Amino acid sequence: MEKKWVDLSWQEKREERFKRWLSPEVKFRSPQAEKAYKERVTRFIKAIKLEEPDRVPVMLPASFFPAYYAGVNLKKVMYDYNALKKSWLKFMSDFSDMDSFGGPGLVLPAKVLEMIDINTHKWPGHGIPDDAPTYQFVEREYIKANEYDKLIQDPSDFWLRTFMPRQAGAFKPLAKLLHLTPFIGIPTFYLSSFGDPEIQAAFKTMMAAGDEINKWQKVVDEISRAVLEAGFPTLWGGMCGAPFDMLTDMCRGTTGIILDMYRQPEKIHEAVERITPIVIEEAVAGANVTKCPIIFMPLHKGDKTFMSGKQFETFYWPTFRRVMMGLINEGLVPMPFAEGNYEPRLEIIKDMPRSSVVWYFEHMDMAKAKKILGDTACIAGNVPVTVLCTGTPQEVKERCRQLIETCAKGGGYILAGSASVDRGKAENLRAMLEAAREYGMYK
Amino acid sequence: MKLDRRWEELTPEEKREERFKRWLSAPDVNFISPEAREGYRARVTRIIKAIKLEIPDRVPCQIPTGSFPAYYCGLDLKTVVYDYEALRRAWLKFALDFDSDTVGGAGFIFGGRVYELLDYKLFKWPGHGLPDDASMVQFVEAEYMKSDEYDAFINNPADFMLRYILPRTWGAFSPLAKLPPMNSFLGIAFLMLEAASRPDFRPMFKAIKEANKERARWLNVITEISQTILEAGYPSEGGGMALAPFDTIADMLRGTRGAVTDMYRQPEKLLEAMERLIPLSLQSATESANMALSPTVFIPMHKGDDTFMSDKQFEKFYWPSFRKLLLGLINEGLVPTMVVDGSYNRRLEYIKDLPKASVVWVFEKTDMARAKRVLGGHACIGGNITGSLLRIGTPEDVKKYCRWLIDTCAPGGGYILTLGASIDKCNPDNLHAIVDTAKQYGVYK
Repeated sequence: MEKKWVDLSWQEKREERFKRWLSPEVKFRSPQAEKAYKERVTRFIKAIKLEEPDRVPVMLPASFFPAYYAGVNLKKVMYDYNALKKSWLKFMSDFSDMDSFGGPGLVLPAKVLEMIDINTHKWPGHGIPDDAPTYQFVEREYIKANEYDKLIQDPSDFWLRTFMPRQAGAFKPLAKLLHLTPFIGIPTFYLSSFGDPEIQAAFKTMMAAGDEINKWQKVVDEISRAVLEAGFPTLWGGMCGAPFDMLTDMCRGTTGIILDMYRQPEKIHEAVERITPIVIEEAVAGANVTKCPIIFMPLHKGDKTFMSGKQFETFYWPTFRRVMMGLINEGLVPMPFAEGNYEPRLEIIKDMPRSSVVWYFEHMDMAKAKKILGDTACIAGNVPVTVLCTGTPQEVKERCRQLIETCAKGGGYILAGSASVDRGKAENLRAMLEAAREYGMYK
Repeated sequence: MKLDRRWEELTPEEKREERFKRWLSAPDVNFISPEAREGYRARVTRIIKAIKLEIPDRVPCQIPTGSFPAYYCGLDLKTVVYDYEALRRAWLKFALDFDSDTVGGAGFIFGGRVYELLDYKLFKWPGHGLPDDASMVQFVEAEYMKSDEYDAFINNPADFMLRYILPRTWGAFSPLAKLPPMNSFLGIAFLMLEAASRPDFRPMFKAIKEANKERARWLNVITEISQTILEAGYPSEGGGMALAPFDTIADMLRGTRGAVTDMYRQPEKLLEAMERLIPLSLQSATESANMALSPTVFIPMHKGDDTFMSDKQFEKFYWPSFRKLLLGLINEGLVPTMVVDGSYNRRLEYIKDLPKASVVWVFEKTDMARAKRVLGGHACIGGNITGSLLRIGTPEDVKKYCRWLIDTCAPGGGYILTLGASIDKCNPDNLHAIVDTAKQYGVYK
């Protein structure tokens, strides 16, 4: 008799998810595409499991690059879904020897952002110059120092009635909604909210924005399917973050959180505790849809310049670790991307089950990372974007060779950039792929 | 309220005095006559003194409305649930015919069409799951929250309500069950926006819109009834409303059987869930009371009764979280007014453990002599004219029992002549008998 999902160990669950990732429900373009797909996924799975694959796998640092490669820019593909599709598919066919590629899920639909009148983001043509190659996040104290209890007492209610109204102009009337939870017994009171013309207008806008999202999502899905049918696995099973970052980025801002660490540390602890199971639930639900078990986790405020080692251990690491453990226990593979410098954190972050995580580094002494983490976790990184953008293909290859020599021994290494490239050079991305083939074969 | 100091800086007593003052002065009410204004002040003063364990001019009396006004006017519950004009006629006639010290509005008579439009599953009522001539509403208890769902509730109550409880208890909200978790702590609520545009959500939004239109029609009548009653000089029965945390779980989420099983099988989860409910209930009760004139908070009490649980269980599961909720309300200057269904003979010593003169206990079947003995000088009590006496007794029987109650409970103040149940049908003279006894026999000298 087959065991129930809950009775499986994390490794067994992960094997199930790996199997699903290896055999997606899709009709491959050709038998070759299918073969290539399986080889590529196997290459990543082996790296994750600290086994030796046929060669070092590569994650091309090409987030918005396909737009520029196709002769357009971020602004254009945010507004024009056809241009988005054209550039992504062009990139895919021109870089046919990539190990992974995915849909443009991070290219946000500008029309939707305009419709909801978002306050938290600026984008090319909307607050920043037309030719800006990325977004600007607008950090602020969206949540005041004395508002922690709302989050702690009822997170989704907080999200709906306190955060969202400040996040976007169109959500402002949601602040007038009543608190749902205590109305369990007397629910018709709650209905009165819906009679408010401003709330009705907010719902109308949200429905219209939803229609626009569907148009965009349809294109993103088409691209993702085409990419998959061509034999390229996505590494994008979902995204989540460290609870401390969520609290900082979205709610309190850097200034606010730093004061809170001194003035009301207990509130931070309670809030990140509260956020932890929610983050896990959301990430698992997301990965169940995408069928890819890798959860990308961009990390922000745990960097060595933002906080001391003691603060990292007190405020940042415990709930971050619990989120990763929660994902691992569901058979998922967290891939934290340590923006900034995580060198002083290596000894702390080592404390995870063997081969359960992929650590992706930006600024890092990779030899040191290999030495400390090599036995426990797959590592990825960190061809400097400066070299990728300004160097020659030969320089890029040289960097890659050094990295492979340092990190690839025994498996557990993925060749990757230190961050992503937008207006970079195509030949330098090609150089990364070449380097992996030339220097990265396991014998 | 114009204050010299900030609200948070006031003591609970000062906050309550501010609320009492506002209740007494009824700032925005246009009384129909100077006599109505005088009558209002006299009635409110009487109740306030009873709450404060002071001696009023006479024992205050309260007749809970229930569905009685409908039958009193020759109608029935089914009619007034659907016909708001009939509802208005019945309630106004009742309010002005009986000289009760407080008169409840018709807010508890919900609009039948509103619930039908949303396919509400927690109630049955005459013509909707019950015979046309049923005189009461039937609450449909079930395990709306399953035994393994405590964590989902504890981790994120509003999310749980939205995606689990609403779809299970309202047919119209069933699409909500298909939503993903609604937090998006990382960014923009794209999933939520996407959901808002899904075709299967359209009927839900339409139903909400229709129901809300209907509810507005109903609410106009309810508001008008309350206003007319108030302008005639009768203070309303209650301001806010709350439930004991255990009752919230046992009535609304787990059902009696579920909650009882949980006391044995997963007591920690049950306790944790109740703990989570306290600040939420406190907040909503305070907000609802802030919108009303009266600082009282009506709290119907269910599963803590002598027969539902043992003393030990009461001590562990019912009382601690409920007491915290009460202290929170008291701290806001509010007056929790518990209507205790069943009997509380075994609970009196526990419930004494609250600040003096801070709450009102209205009993249904509790032994009033014992209640006075234990709680007298400590908390205002009310009760316990029974529904059966009103239904089958004569006015003389009622008077006799009321006199006994006044003799037993009224000395020293802190007593309200009333009942801990609501009534549907009875001889109107029996209700007059209550008021008459209070007026003739309940005068303090």
